[in-house]
Amino acid sequence: MIKVRIPTPLRPLTKGQGEVETKAESVLDMIEALNTAHPGIKDRLCDDTGELRRFVNIYVNEEDIRFLKGKETSLKDGDEVSIVPAIAGGTPCRA
Amino acid sequence: MTTPLHIPQHILDDMVAHARELDPYECCGLLAGTNGAVSHVYQIKNIVALEGAEKLSSFDPAKVAHLERLSPAERAEIAFVMDMQDFSVAKKDIRNKGLDLQVVYHSHPHDPARPSITDIKIATDYEEIWPKINLPIPAYLLISLMDKSKPDIRGYWITNGTVTPAPITTTV
Repeated sequence: MIKVRIPTPLRPLTKGQGEVETKAESVLDMIEALNTAHPGIKDRLCDDTGELRRFVNIYVNEEDIRFLKGKETSLKDGDEVSIVPAIAGGTPCRA
Repeated sequence: MTTPLHIPQHILDDMVAHARELDPYECCGLLAGTNGAVSHVYQIKNIVALEGAEKLSSFDPAKVAHLERLSPAERAEIAFVMDMQDFSVAKKDIRNKGLDLQVVYHSHPHDPARPSITDIKIATDYEEIWPKINLPIPAYLLISLMDKSKPDIRGYWITNGTVTPAPITTTV
């Protein structure tokens, strides 16, 4: 099984779970499996063309998949995947 | 994580130059070094104007509603979203140089150098993420350009939703 860490902002989609386990042989597989179990999560991670959004990182055992094989990065039993949303912020909302 | 911050004047100058270059839009970046002593600055692209970024899951619903009413350019005046590709490149360089992340910075072109509610919420969400990507919890640094001739730079620690000042020392 692959352990996937879900960041706080995406936990409403995983019923509050900060960590989920799934079976997958690649990151692409993992995204599809997550989306089946937790509909809507793929849309948060990928754009309309299926590419990883630039405001999300996916780390496999602490390495960004962009430095591996992207979505084709293979996964094996026991791998740990972290989904990391962009660091963001802003000034106060004004009326 | 309460290590005093030491930031050389030339790095403070680089950050102010970055903030002024993007004014009226927000800039963002990282500072790296060792044990609170900053030695490197990494400018990161603010991609809040990209399609979909206004709906970033990190933003609270009020912020999303506000950003959705604005044009992409207007969004960049009141928010930032780091380009995570830039972030990963910076993270790798920081690691390769044997340094550690010390500071996450961004500018407030029209507002004081204080963390907003959004800044505090996202920094708090991130507290549990830093160790998982093998980075220490950084200080947060704000550059206000409210007075264009006299930028105000302030540092903060944000822990569990609580903001405390992080004093900055510098040398020329």
